[in-house]
Parts: sequence; C-alpha cells; structure tokens
Amino acid sequence: MSDIIENLGDEVQRGEIEKVKELVKTAVDQGLAPMEILENGLRPAMEEIGRKFGSLEIFLPEMMNAADAMSAGVEILKPYLASEKSEAQKGLIILGTVQGDVHDIGKNIVGVMLGSLGYKIVDLGYDVPVLTFVDRVIELEPDIVGMSALMTSTMVHMPRVINALKERDLRKKVKVIVGGAPVLPEWALEIEADGYGENAAEAINVVKELLQ
Amino acid sequence: MIRFWDILERAEKGKIVPVKEWDRGIGKAAAQVVSDYDLKYEPSDPVPADDALADRMFEAGVELFEKTGIYCMDTGKVLEFTKDEIMEALDAAPDRVIYGSGNDIVETPHREVEDPRDPIVNFSAVGTPVTEELFVPICQSYAQEPMADTFSGPLITTYRGMAVASGSPVELEAGIWNVIKLREAARWAGRPKIPIHNFMSIAERTDATIAAARPELGVLPGDGLFVAAVAELKVDYERLKKVAFLIHSPYVIGGLYGPLMGGYGGGPAATAALLVAHHILGILAFRAPRHNAFPVHIHHVCNTSRDMLWLVSLAGQALARNTHLVTFANAFIAAGPCTETAIWELAAHSVTSTVSGWHLNPCAVARNRQPLHCSGMEPRIHAEVGHVTARKGITRKEAGKIVKALLDRYEKQIPNAPIGKSFNECYDPVSVRPKDEYIRLWEDCKETLRELGLDFGLIA
Repeated sequence: MSDIIENLGDEVQRGEIEKVKELVKTAVDQGLAPMEILENGLRPAMEEIGRKFGSLEIFLPEMMNAADAMSAGVEILKPYLASEKSEAQKGLIILGTVQGDVHDIGKNIVGVMLGSLGYKIVDLGYDVPVLTFVDRVIELEPDIVGMSALMTSTMVHMPRVINALKERDLRKKVKVIVGGAPVLPEWALEIEADGYGENAAEAINVVKELLQ
Repeated sequence: MIRFWDILERAEKGKIVPVKEWDRGIGKAAAQVVSDYDLKYEPSDPVPADDALADRMFEAGVELFEKTGIYCMDTGKVLEFTKDEIMEALDAAPDRVIYGSGNDIVETPHREVEDPRDPIVNFSAVGTPVTEELFVPICQSYAQEPMADTFSGPLITTYRGMAVASGSPVELEAGIWNVIKLREAARWAGRPKIPIHNFMSIAERTDATIAAARPELGVLPGDGLFVAAVAELKVDYERLKKVAFLIHSPYVIGGLYGPLMGGYGGGPAATAALLVAHHILGILAFRAPRHNAFPVHIHHVCNTSRDMLWLVSLAGQALARNTHLVTFANAFIAAGPCTETAIWELAAHSVTSTVSGWHLNPCAVARNRQPLHCSGMEPRIHAEVGHVTARKGITRKEAGKIVKALLDRYEKQIPNAPIGKSFNECYDPVSVRPKDEYIRLWEDCKETLRELGLDFGLIA
C-alpha cells in the first residue's frame, strides 16, 4: 500500500478534514485510481473507526469527526467516480425513528456508518408517522427501510409500517430492518422484518448481507 | 429566579440551532470542560475518594450547562442561562421531598457522601414489558417488600388484545388501567397507600397521563411522575406539557436523566459532566424537586460496567458535595433475575451509589427489555446492600475495594450476560413469594458479600 493511502487512512481516523482533502487531491494528481483511493484508503479507515467505536476505544464524537473527514474525501472523488460504481448502485436506505419516539442516537450512528461505507442514506428523522415511511418508499424506491425505537410503547409502530407496506403491495419491493434498545431478535422475526441489528455494527452487517 | 414561564418563553425566543449542530456541539463542549478541569477516568479506581476531583466535576457540569443550555426539539431553539441563573436555581432547589400522605409519608432528604443514614429506596420495575395477567402480581412483588419506601410498575405492550401504541386511544385506556392496577397491587401488598413515585409507566403521551391522574383511579396526592429529558440535554413540548400539568397538581415531579456513555457527550468523564448538567436542566425546565439518574453504556445498556460505576460515583459525589439536591441512582443491570451475575451487579451498583450520596432507585433488569424478566427480589437485593453499606459507615475507599472484588466476578460477562429467569419461573405468581431457588441463591451470595465487608446483621 502506498504511503499516501496509508496516511489518508490515518487522517480519516483522526477526523482531519483539511488534511484528508489535501491527501485525496494529491493522490488523484499522482495518478492513483479514484476507486483505489476510496476502497483502500477511505473505507478501511472508516471500518476501523467502526471497530474502535464498537469496543469504545473511541466515542461517538470521534466517529462522527472521522465520518466528516471521509465525506470530505468522497466529495472530491465524486466527479472521478461518476463513471464507476456510484452510491446509488451500492444501495439506497431510508432510516427513521418511529412515531412517538424522539430518541435518535442509535439511528444516527447507523446512518453515519452506512453513509461512510458508500450507501446513500435518506434520514427521515424522529417521530416519523407510519404513513410517512410508506410515502417515502413510494417516492424513493429504496432498497432498505430501517426503523429504530427506544421505547417499548413506540416499537409497536414497526409492525404497523410493515403492514402498511403489505397493504400497498410494496413489501416485496423493499427490505425492512429494525433495531433499538427494546427490540429483540424474536420480535423482529415476529413482525416479519428482514433483518435485525443488536447494535450499529450488526446493523451494518445485516445491510451488507441483504444487499449482496 | 427563573420561572416556568421563562422556560416556555425561551423555548420560543431562543437562538435557532439545527439539531445536528446541537448534537455535535455537545461533544465539543464536554471535551472542553473535561480538559479544562482535568477530569480523567481511572479504571483502577471505580469509586474515587478524591473530593477535589468531585468538586471539579461539579464545576465542569455547571460550566457545560452554561455553555450549552437546553435544546427544545419542537422549536429548534436553545434555552440559554447565565451562571447566576444556574446558581440561583441550585440554591433555591428543595433539599428534601415528601412522598405520600397521612401515615404513609416518606420524607427524602438530601444525602451526603458516605452518609450513614439509610438511603430511601424507590422499588421500580422501570420499563420491563409484562402481560396484563401478571402486571398486578409483579407490582405486588415490589410493593410488598419491607424496604420499599415507594414503588412503581412495569409496562404492558398489549391491552385487551390491541397494541398499546404511543399516541393511540388504546394508550390512553391502558394508562388508566395502569394506575388502577398499581393501586390494586398496593392493596394486595397490604400497603394500600404506599406512595407510587412514578404512577404512569405504560403511556408516554401527556393526554394519557392527565386522563389517569385522578385520586378515584388510585393516584393519590403525594404520588409522583417522572419527566424524562432526551439525550443529550433536550426537551420537547410533550415533556413541558407534563410539567405544566404537574406544577398545578399534588404530584411530585421527578426529573429523569439518561445520558449515553459513548454517545454524543463522549467518554466516562464527559458523560459524568453531562449527568451533572442534566440535573440543572431538571431544576429549571422540569421544576423537579427530586432527580433520577440512569446513565447507560451505549453498547451494553447497563450502568454496572467499571466505567459506568466510576461515572455514577463521581457525578453523585459532585452533586452531593456541592448542592442540596435530592438525587436517586437508577440501576440498569445486564443480567436477569435469579442469576449470580445480576446479584453482583446489583451489589456493586448499590455500594457505589450509597457511598456517593445517592438514594436508590432499583432497577432495570436484563438490559430492561426481556419480557417478564423482573421481580421484587432485584430491588430487595439492591436495597439490602444499600442499607448495610450506609449503616456500616462504609467509606468510598472501602467501597472501592468491595466493588473491584465484585467486578472481578462479573465484568467479563457483561457483553453476554445471562437473561435469567422470568417472573413465573422465580416467583410463585399466586402467593407472590420468591421461590426457594432465588432465596437460596441470594443467601449464598450474601456469604460472599459478608466476606467482602457487608454486615447483613445490621439489617436483621
């Protein structure tokens, strides 16, 4: 691996936006393939950040700084990547915290990690009404809908979204994943979700499997 | 002096900040005070006995709140406060709170670090999902415990076959059912007027709370209700509506704060400062005379890991030494009922909290999500350990040794902690008595705790 790719990974992990931009530009100028810069420099760094966050060697602020640095690098690469594999090709995911629930840290972490891995994320925010999920599925035709809840009294909206998708004949067109503190794998099965993540790292793996 | 009307006005007239900017700003502000006040988590010292460190933590928490203020999610505005306003509110906050009425009064004063007085213990099933059929026996198992000064219930997810969905009419009906059944459980426990410190656990919405808060349904003057902040340092109109209602009611407001360690704030030191800051939010925005802290580990969803105990201890000491607030520590444990792991976790959290100036609010069991995995035994264990710790006059240094010995027994099991037994498996649901297996397990574990310095003869 070239020095510049290695340095790039280090600077992403440190969350150094300006240095990442500079290194990406230099790498492009030196003739490195944009996909190589992305796949060997930026993404492995974010995967390492995800691992470190999983073991709490770092905390959310550091992870978000790294994600910002990664995004800054990707922005520079975008024009060069246009002819190669685009974000949309990797997968479009809409995320939201279900109706009645204003807790969105978990959902945000999943969004940051997936976004940094190249998936296109549309974040619907928190307290998302059942029919808003459905409307956005019709509008955006995502590959995956991800729902999060922190409260037992709000996670019961998850099957309502799934049923609403079924009633509109959309269920087979989109995968559904669920997560959040009160959500158990048995519940995910019971409501016929396609995937469940105990934590953000698991959610990433589930997305990767579903979109293979 | 900041009034509730000032809060409502500032929520409308404050500076607009996008929520993502707010979330990111919390980490930066917390990191700054952690650095400025030289606050460093020390894994070898889960119950620090350093007064200067505790005082710096308090100053850091106040400064953090002064830098950030409170975020109102409905208006997208920041409620800002001056240092003078913060200190005035702290000075004016009540130094005791009274639950109940008549012969069932529970007076809860401010506790000090290493306070030899018994902690007040709120027996709480927190958020464990249970069935309609077992709701009353489970609540009874809490209310009947001799050390239960007050109690509260778990929640049901279906009512009469329909999902209790937040915001639905079913939620409102279930909320009314909730308070009727809580008082019924108190009657079956032989304590018909025992205070209920959080009378609504099933319904989230304010309309359901107001509908249920009637004496004829069993909610008595001197009962209480928790109002929870949203991590980190956020409120919304749903919460402020609850406060508006409660201010005009005979019910005790409890501020509820659960900063996430590893989340927007950062690590243990930053999250401890955030927990202190949340107490100021509780005084100002929630008008709360008592406070309930449940910081949790972002991955393990408990507060019994080594870093979490340090956080609980230091934030408790900071508040106990520098304010006269009435504060409760809410145990969140990873393991489930009738397991050794759970008992060690409960003991470690109780010893840590009791010497650090907290009253006790046990507990969320099995990461607070396994259906029917809760019983009155877990708070009994927590309460007995807390009473012994106080009566024996255990110091922070002694507590540190006990806690380290306990951590050796369970901390590696936290990521895969056993979920234990359900209520039906560890209690006889007809007599509502713990089964012999659970009693024996507790008695066996007490032997180990005795060897570590906890003299259970003091509560015999």
